[in-house]
Amino acid sequence: MSLITPLSRRRLLAGLAAATASALVLTACGGGDDSGTGSTAGGWSLPSSDPTATIKVLSILDLKTAHMQEVIDAFEKAHPTIKVDYQSVPFDSLNSTLDARIANKGGDPDVYWADQPRISALAARGEAEDLTKAFAGFKSSFDPTAYDSGMFQDKLWALPIANSSQLLYYNKALLKKAGLAEPSADPNQRMTWEQLTKDAAKAKSSGAQYGFLFGQFDRYYQLEPLPVQLGGSPGATGDKNLTPDFTSEQWVKAFTWYGDLFKQGVAPKGMKSEETDPAFVAGRAAYMVEGPWLIPQLGASKVDWGVAPQPVFEGGKPATPTGSWSLAMNPFSKQKEAAAVFMKWMAVDEGGGYIKYRSDPELAASPEGKKIYFQKSVFSSPAGKDAAKIIDFETSNTAVNRVPTIGYIEFETILNQAFADIRNGADAKTALDSASAQLTTAWKKYQ
Amino acid sequence: MTTTPALPVRTRRVKTSTVVLTAVAVIVGAGFVLPAIWILIGSFRPNAEILTTMSPLSWHLVIPSEVTFENYVHLLVDSGFARALLNSFIVCIASVAIGLAMSAMAAYALAVYQFPGRNLIFAVIVISFMVPFEAIAIPLAQQFTDWGLGNTMTGLILPGVANGLAIFNLRQYFLGIPQSYREAAMIDGASEPRILFSLYARLSGPALTNSALLIFLGQWTAFLWPLLIVSDQKLQLAPVALAGTFGEHAADYGQNFAGTIVLTLVPAVSMFVLQRFFGRLSIGSGEK
Amino acid sequence: MASSTVTSEPVVAKRRRAGRRPEAGRQRPGRRQELMWAAIFLSPAIVALVVLRVVPTVGAVVQSLYKAFPGGIIPATFHGLGNYESLFADPNFVSTIVRTLVFNAIINPFQIVLALLLAVLFTQKIPAVGVWRTLVFIPITVPIVGSSIAWGAALNPEGPVNALISALGGNPQPFLTSPDQALAGIIMLASWIGIGYWMLFLISGLQAIPEELYDAAKIDRAGPIRTFFSITIPMLKRPLLFVLVADTVANFVLFVPVQLLTQGGPQNSTTLLMFDAYRTTYGYGSRNLGAAEVVILTVIMIFFVLLQFRLLREERTPR
Repeated sequence: MSLITPLSRRRLLAGLAAATASALVLTACGGGDDSGTGSTAGGWSLPSSDPTATIKVLSILDLKTAHMQEVIDAFEKAHPTIKVDYQSVPFDSLNSTLDARIANKGGDPDVYWADQPRISALAARGEAEDLTKAFAGFKSSFDPTAYDSGMFQDKLWALPIANSSQLLYYNKALLKKAGLAEPSADPNQRMTWEQLTKDAAKAKSSGAQYGFLFGQFDRYYQLEPLPVQLGGSPGATGDKNLTPDFTSEQWVKAFTWYGDLFKQGVAPKGMKSEETDPAFVAGRAAYMVEGPWLIPQLGASKVDWGVAPQPVFEGGKPATPTGSWSLAMNPFSKQKEAAAVFMKWMAVDEGGGYIKYRSDPELAASPEGKKIYFQKSVFSSPAGKDAAKIIDFETSNTAVNRVPTIGYIEFETILNQAFADIRNGADAKTALDSASAQLTTAWKKYQ
Repeated sequence: MTTTPALPVRTRRVKTSTVVLTAVAVIVGAGFVLPAIWILIGSFRPNAEILTTMSPLSWHLVIPSEVTFENYVHLLVDSGFARALLNSFIVCIASVAIGLAMSAMAAYALAVYQFPGRNLIFAVIVISFMVPFEAIAIPLAQQFTDWGLGNTMTGLILPGVANGLAIFNLRQYFLGIPQSYREAAMIDGASEPRILFSLYARLSGPALTNSALLIFLGQWTAFLWPLLIVSDQKLQLAPVALAGTFGEHAADYGQNFAGTIVLTLVPAVSMFVLQRFFGRLSIGSGEK
Repeated sequence: MASSTVTSEPVVAKRRRAGRRPEAGRQRPGRRQELMWAAIFLSPAIVALVVLRVVPTVGAVVQSLYKAFPGGIIPATFHGLGNYESLFADPNFVSTIVRTLVFNAIINPFQIVLALLLAVLFTQKIPAVGVWRTLVFIPITVPIVGSSIAWGAALNPEGPVNALISALGGNPQPFLTSPDQALAGIIMLASWIGIGYWMLFLISGLQAIPEELYDAAKIDRAGPIRTFFSITIPMLKRPLLFVLVADTVANFVLFVPVQLLTQGGPQNSTTLLMFDAYRTTYGYGSRNLGAAEVVILTVIMIFFVLLQFRLLREERTPR
């Protein structure tokens, strides 16, 4: 009993102080630790025969509901000595999860899904392995814009496994009701945004609940082509693309048009991206600009639909969104060769195992993969055939990548918020100016 | 209640006031539960119908065109949600058991004993729950990985165990228990642990329930921590699995709502049961 | 056995006598034993809190004095108070702090008053009171992702709430799409969740008030309002302090509803400090700057919590 007595304030304080001190030491060590970036470009190459390994793969696609099991099974069949330990996390949590896990330096995950416009940031943060030596030789297998999305400072950091494009879908019944002609599927007879606004307003007054929908309102991916069509920049300029450039006349003009869509009631405020597809598929919207992932849903719906190329501003030059996901490698991976085998199989082999074996059709990033893609049954209908032609044209002629910058995350977050403000009624110029000031502050840390 | 025989007039007044109070209680209860009811209805209707029935306003908002169990079947059978639910349950039960015992002991020491440094320790406890967990999660996750606690149940349970708020809550309640009870028990020869676990715990039903709830809900809704610490799909927790119903371009609202209902019912039902069970065990009722 | 002794009247009488004795701590024979038990009872919680909370918190404070390229790999360099200087030099950050203070000045009293009223209501003798109480409590158990969808849909400019307003002859409101109304929407959602929760803690406090006190008030012919202020409130001081502190902390660190409903907009009108810190840390990967924001937030919280402890100061001896 007497042993316990000296538990006094002093001792408790001493304990606390010791704990505090050790925390200080720990953190200080962490701060000064310079084990730094992993072994870049050293010590591994694409192996000629398969190693025996289990690789951890981090994705945003659910194994079951997004049909990734089929893909993984096909890979393990083709490469029986390599097992895949697959995990998916929600899209919104991917970047923070990667930031934390890669910094643990334990090599978990070995391979991960990388959002293409964020590849520069991943490379600059030391979270991606340099793939130039192993994969630059496959450059010709990919569409040029898709391949370029993996480049940062003249090195290759990620392999594209998919691509995307945008189309103008329309509801034939609603157009007929409003007495509107169906837009042409020929890329040379592209509709103008000005015409679309008028027609959509007419469709709405003739009974459509929504005149026009963007698949993803308020998102840079979807809206970047608007100012670019008018000759504006993709949004950033200067050394390493770290100077905001979205307050030009072209940007203000494009986004004044965007704001007017909602002021005139042609498009709805307050609708989230997850709600747009169900609205069109339920026959509530006359027009919608959306990606090819809508085609299978439309095929299964009662809607009589058609497709046309995404519109262009009067006097502007066509430009369309592009880009999707790539695979990148953790620089701290302990199984880089097995990881490389997996990446090559997913992106290159047979036009890309990811495209070939996944039953959800997804646009390929390579010409060979696109052939497989266009043979899928969803393109067999007349409208499906039109869609295939348009997608093929846009990905080779009008696609504009999102701006590559190591500060992409701040760029996209702040810009998307400005778009939302414009949609909610803020003046385009004021909103873009204020976003520009905000981004300049946020980007100071990179200067 | 008063034991004097009530006059007829008085009885009637009591009755009217009871009716009014009941009406208010019912309306308030219904108002609070309304959004949850909409989610409940949504979980039984086809996915495509959930948001398309929001406008224009019609009876379709609350009446599905068809009732389907598909959402629940998909969620519990086809996806990994059932397993994640079980994981969440294990983590919560373990956290509550350990956390509650730990908190009750600490709260008892702080409420009952006079010793130097008591206020300092109490201050540390208060500050410990003020620092948002998100602010310390990344370094803590790295520490856990170094200790080999990554991808383990222990790693998931531990952070939920240390809950300063639960200690604070129990301390406040214990302070309200007259010291004389303890002194009387000591005269009867009861040891300190016995006083804590059979006297104080028995008198603190509601506070223990609330503290259990604090710890339970903290773990039941944990999202960031499992993402940071678990890369093994088999150990994933329910909220993370539920977030998987949101894809990049589309969301499966039907499954999401079904999962939301499942995740709502577990704590709601246990709270209802615990309240009935522990409601009677309080200081107030003890003195009656 | 112990519990049966407790409830008997003579014990209470004995307590009163014992209570009158002057503080005799040092002479009491059990003093050493008490210290031993205090140490035994406290050590598991203290060890857990120090390892799992205190040490990482000190780590975060230290981290806020460093500067690093975003992400967690490139080593940090000492930056002194540089992060704090750049934060306070940013007018957007200063208005975020002001907004956070205004938000808390509104939401905390609002939630606590309503929680208290409901707690009183749900401790009256009402048929099936447990059922109505559970209904009010349900929002806290609904995963916030689900409730955000429900509220977002309800408050959509073309949603059911506006349809109802129009049907009653009012003007449709922009709700979450307006910089003037969005923060109120967040307060609504947070209160829908919080009120029932804090109510529970107050209910257990109310149940602990001896009924004899109310009976005495009845004999004194005190009305319900006087009884409320002269008996209920003073007897509820301890649980009230807990709820006040816990609710304030909860609302200062609130960010998930903002993240799910408005992402800080429109025009930054819902950018609260914790949301900003979360975005900086997890969105932008700038952990050091995010740590500085959290340190500022915690200092603000400590100030208010100290104030609350002062306000509801406890008597030295719990008698």
